[in-house]
Amino acid sequence: MFISGSTDTADTDIRVGAMPTRRAARFSRRTRQTLLAYLLLSPAILYFSVYFFYPIGLEFWASLYSGQPLIGESRFAGLDNYVAALGDARVRQSLFVTLAFAIGVTAASIAIGLGLAVVLNRPIPGRTLIRAIIFFPYITSFVIVALMWQAILDPYTGILNSFLAELGLPTQNWLGDTSTALPTLIAITVWKDVGYAMLIYLSALQSIPSDFYDAASIDGATPTQQFRYLTWPLLTPTTLFIAVVSTISQLQELAPAYLITKGGPADATRFFSLHVFEAAFFELNIGYASALSFLMFLLILAITFVQFRLLNRETTY
Amino acid sequence: MTFAKTLPSYLLLLFCVALSIFPFLYMLSLSLQSDADVFSGIPILIPETWQFTNYIDIWQKAPFARFTLNSFIIAGGITFLHLIFDPLIGYVFAKMEFAGKRVMFVAVLSTLMIPFFIRMIPLYVLTARMGWLNTYQGLILPFAMSAYGIFLMRQFIRPIPDELLDAARMDGCSELGLYWRIVLPQVRPALATLALLTFVFQWNEFLWPLVAVNTTEMRPITTGLTLFNQEFFTQWNLTATGGIILFIPSLLLFLFTQRYFVRSVMLAGMK
Repeated sequence: MFISGSTDTADTDIRVGAMPTRRAARFSRRTRQTLLAYLLLSPAILYFSVYFFYPIGLEFWASLYSGQPLIGESRFAGLDNYVAALGDARVRQSLFVTLAFAIGVTAASIAIGLGLAVVLNRPIPGRTLIRAIIFFPYITSFVIVALMWQAILDPYTGILNSFLAELGLPTQNWLGDTSTALPTLIAITVWKDVGYAMLIYLSALQSIPSDFYDAASIDGATPTQQFRYLTWPLLTPTTLFIAVVSTISQLQELAPAYLITKGGPADATRFFSLHVFEAAFFELNIGYASALSFLMFLLILAITFVQFRLLNRETTY
Repeated sequence: MTFAKTLPSYLLLLFCVALSIFPFLYMLSLSLQSDADVFSGIPILIPETWQFTNYIDIWQKAPFARFTLNSFIIAGGITFLHLIFDPLIGYVFAKMEFAGKRVMFVAVLSTLMIPFFIRMIPLYVLTARMGWLNTYQGLILPFAMSAYGIFLMRQFIRPIPDELLDAARMDGCSELGLYWRIVLPQVRPALATLALLTFVFQWNEFLWPLVAVNTTEMRPITTGLTLFNQEFFTQWNLTATGGIILFIPSLLLFLFTQRYFVRSVMLAGMK
């Protein structure tokens, strides 16, 4: 069918007189396609406008008002909310906690995920099963993760402390002590998310040609040298990708603080997201919460911008 | 590589596997313990008698059946909408030529930079104004499609040869007919992956239901469990039982489709 169709057009092409009508037909087909395309796109245009672009605009507008813009009494306040937010010691503390959490989770996921991927990239027995088991917590709800670890880490009835006591080691109130609460939340989140970094690294490792390693071996490079001078540099784009994706998602993570510690003890795990959540939904301080939220948006945009700059210099092989 | 050399890293790997599984097993153990076991204050790894009645009691102590139904309706509804829209929009960007295509595509992709948490406050206000708090449409529509899903489908639709589509056009097939009869059947595995990822992530979603629902009977299982942990019980055994019930659908889906999951993360993760 296709072949006969194309010979037809080739025939008409030769006849000069047919040109204008053909062009007209093509033009109208293009117009028809444009119309059809926009018709098909219209649900997406509506959806992304209503649920993405309009809310961001609305949020910025609300951030310029004090009180309860959108839902109640409010007064134009200019940039007052932003000034107040940056001057609030509790906001600064929560930003510090959030950055420590995001960087801690990201660094540990990269280190452990890469280690697991390098080991699992070898033909060892049962690696498909091992890979699946380590990945599984990633697709488990944080609600379950929180339940499990609260039960394990409970200072009185938890299994971890009773295990430590049996070994004669000191016990800890893991989630209740200001010095251990944030590291414990980081550890729980890494436990959940490390399988993602592992899988991304595994797929990157599998795309490195084995000739590279053959050549390195012939030149007498030890496995450590091969990792240091071959694997690690080749994985730079992957590492950057994981670093940025993980940092951005951990910066807005609410679940660990909300479900496990409620921000305590003494604000030691008070995430920025928890601060925003409480300001908006407990105190109904919509203007102020919108300003805090918009500040987070700007931070994420900045990180995304840096990602583009860095990834554009990505090495190819 | 000698056996002695790989042994330490293999043992370390097995330790990681044990660490990944242990919390799930401990939760299973807790869910089978009696009140006396839990109140004894001494942690028990394997209960002497298995208290299967926890799995019956829980349905009577809280509207757990309703929570489960809500979760299926919400996650199922969102997955259905994704399957309708993501491949269709992906097809428009992959195979149709029209003025403003580049701008529209960049606009769609730019929404990846506006994460949910940032939009939560205005979304709450908008949903409240439409009178959609505590409704299924209020819980489903904000997640009806995603730039990620559209991008994924476009990547899978692009390799379909244009000659194939042109041939069908010559035969008088309409644009929508092309999509329905030729494109969709070709990308069926990708659709399965999309459905799977969407369902599992929506099944786990807890932030939006936490904000947009304030009646007990509209809660999905995630917020239902969180809140009834505070309202209904103070005992780990029943909470753990609820956790196991929440966890079973993800486990079953994962067991049967583990390969899809692993492959899709490896494929889509790096774009």
